[in-house]
Amino acid sequence: MSLAIAGMGWVTPLGNDLSGVWQRLINGETATVQSISSGLGPDYPVIHVPADQASVHPRLRRSSAISRFAVTAGLAAMEDAKLQPGAEAASRIAMIFAVSNGGVIYTKRFYDQIVDSGAQAASPLLFPETVFNAPASHMAAILGITGATYTLVGDGAVGILALGMAQDLMENEAFDHCLVIAAEEADWLLCDAYHQWRLLRLKPPIEPFGQPPRGTILSEGAGAVLLSRNGSIEVEKIALGSNFRKRSEAGDCLGKVLGELCNDETALIVSSANGTFIDSAERNAILKNCPKAQIYAMKPALGESLGASSLWQVICATQFLRSRSVPSELFFAKGNDVAAASKSTGQFRRAVVSVCGLSQQVAGVRLAIS
Amino acid sequence: MAEYSEVNQRNVPRVAVVGVGIVSPLGIGIDETVSALREGRDCISPVNCFPVDHCRCKTAGQIPDGRLACPEALPLRQERLHRVARMTILALGEALGSAPAFQPELSVVGTTSGGMTYGEEYYRGLKGKQTSKRKAPSLIANYTPQKPIMDAQQAFGLSAPCQIIANACASGTNAIGHAFDCIRSGRYNQILTGGYDALSELVFVGFDSLQASTPERCRPFDQDRTGLVLGEGAAILLLENFDSAKARGAKILAELVGYGLSTDNHHLTQPNPSGSGPFQAMEGALKSAGLRPEKIDYINAHGTATPQNDATEGKAIVELFQGVAVSSTKGMMGHALGAAGAIEAVISILAIQNRFMPANINFRAGDAGLQLNIVANKSQPADLHTVLSNSFGFGGTNASVIFQATEP
Repeated sequence: MSLAIAGMGWVTPLGNDLSGVWQRLINGETATVQSISSGLGPDYPVIHVPADQASVHPRLRRSSAISRFAVTAGLAAMEDAKLQPGAEAASRIAMIFAVSNGGVIYTKRFYDQIVDSGAQAASPLLFPETVFNAPASHMAAILGITGATYTLVGDGAVGILALGMAQDLMENEAFDHCLVIAAEEADWLLCDAYHQWRLLRLKPPIEPFGQPPRGTILSEGAGAVLLSRNGSIEVEKIALGSNFRKRSEAGDCLGKVLGELCNDETALIVSSANGTFIDSAERNAILKNCPKAQIYAMKPALGESLGASSLWQVICATQFLRSRSVPSELFFAKGNDVAAASKSTGQFRRAVVSVCGLSQQVAGVRLAIS
Repeated sequence: MAEYSEVNQRNVPRVAVVGVGIVSPLGIGIDETVSALREGRDCISPVNCFPVDHCRCKTAGQIPDGRLACPEALPLRQERLHRVARMTILALGEALGSAPAFQPELSVVGTTSGGMTYGEEYYRGLKGKQTSKRKAPSLIANYTPQKPIMDAQQAFGLSAPCQIIANACASGTNAIGHAFDCIRSGRYNQILTGGYDALSELVFVGFDSLQASTPERCRPFDQDRTGLVLGEGAAILLLENFDSAKARGAKILAELVGYGLSTDNHHLTQPNPSGSGPFQAMEGALKSAGLRPEKIDYINAHGTATPQNDATEGKAIVELFQGVAVSSTKGMMGHALGAAGAIEAVISILAIQNRFMPANINFRAGDAGLQLNIVANKSQPADLHTVLSNSFGFGGTNASVIFQATEP
């Protein structure tokens, strides 16, 4: 069975227009880094989505940012594919929502009520929105999907794992499309957790493949990919990878993924490098399996949005294949032995997305333009 | 009622269950579970792992920490493991005991909150309300929903990619169902599936705030039911292409023959009163299995004992089936959320193997006008061939799976 990308949508700190954000990346723009505060600890840098970039659908008036990001990106992917929402389309669509941390803002607020004031003060309005699959439920209701909807959780690789699941679902001829959405919202609590985990950088920029790794900056948003069986951008191969026990094993695990995906024609690898330990894992895997490939890492421009990032990478790879242009690498560490992307990359017809998550998962996908 | 036809399934790969493991308030492992199920034992007790003074509900199905010790020989830093990881390790260990050569290509498991209590501990530490015994990085690393199955795989030298399904209370059944679809598609030969969840203060208070949990006894399908009690646990099922399992001489415990799912867009936390969501899921499972409704001998219901769930599930069962025996085992062990579907799938298999229908305890009388054949209060001997298990969740997720006795 062939699998293709029929439509895409995203909500990013640089906007939500598919080609507009891509052009801003080509232009070398980076999202604004802000400071996020809490009475619980120090300020941290964070990259937010501007408030006017996410849906205000009536169904979402009580929902958290993550649901608004997800719905905006999902509807944009439908529109990009010129697929009109409605009962007929909905009956033939499966949906997978992928997420790493989920509705952390409402979860923190709900638990804060318990800790500060006791269980009797906890709001029943907040609790349902803390559940991982709340955004999927909103999206299904808006599209009218009554069949297969799944929510998948994992680390930064979850978007690719969701594509793998979509491929399995599309084996069922009851579906013409599978809408895969990945979303994340940023909050001080997440920044603190990643700081405590020694993965956060306290001031910009994110420097991919730097030695030593200086850390990442969290961001938020959503990516959405509508899959069908035919289209000009083919999903040639998805590698679901394995799990690494220690950070030192990540390179070997990712090496197996790239070994499955890379071939002589591989021109561009859209990298998950984010300024942490995963960069050296990815570097080693690339040098071993596809040393001639050129690398584009989008996280210096958009930040590390965890669950959403891997679908942003897929969208970047698709935009590269569609437009035959690629943004210049930002903040690439000097003296690096992996090759930063350059304009000459545009003549190739394949791109690989490489993802190493922060919590033991690796995965990748190879796309081709027909 | 929908029309059904016996679908010729000869060209569709069959799916064997070659290993199961179970950890729940009913017991650790199959033997303890079967014993508790036969007795209809009420395993609900006062909550002792966090304060419930300000909650309406004060009980849950709990597994004592002392029963969750993992074998010391396992290659793990056990002091870091969350208790839900310990449950998962015990369940996987039991499952692999009957299928030691099992090497899954994929793990598909369900959960709602993974190691949530580590997240709570971390947050209380930030608020200065609690001095943590563990350092923050360890709490954060072991809090993630995927960590328990990764720990469990690591304990037994497995490293399959993990798809963690979080479809609320239907997670476990959705995971089993998706794994079933994957093997049926012919793309996979062996898949590890199941679910896990542990009690946490946040989730407990959440259900209490919604008044979905009860301060009284949990009485599934009783006309005076007042809500659910929460539970916890883990269950693992090892699924394999039937022909492959047979060829290698594996012991086949049961056959997984059907899966159906639906999404009910009525409300984030309440089912459509029409029962259309459960109906569609059960109907889908029957069609997937190529079975008529009368072929189902027993339904292990979702049966949470909330007024809405049991009314809609009961309505859908009555519309689709005629007089089938039904029980919910949640009155005995509580509602284990993302693990519930997996635990109840294993219970369904144990019921087939051990020839009895588990009891729906605390039952007095059903809803007026709803003619359900409830297995009331005592387990009943029964020569079961085909069993359907339901799970429904927040966000309108509905899933049903069907198990059959293995044909000789």
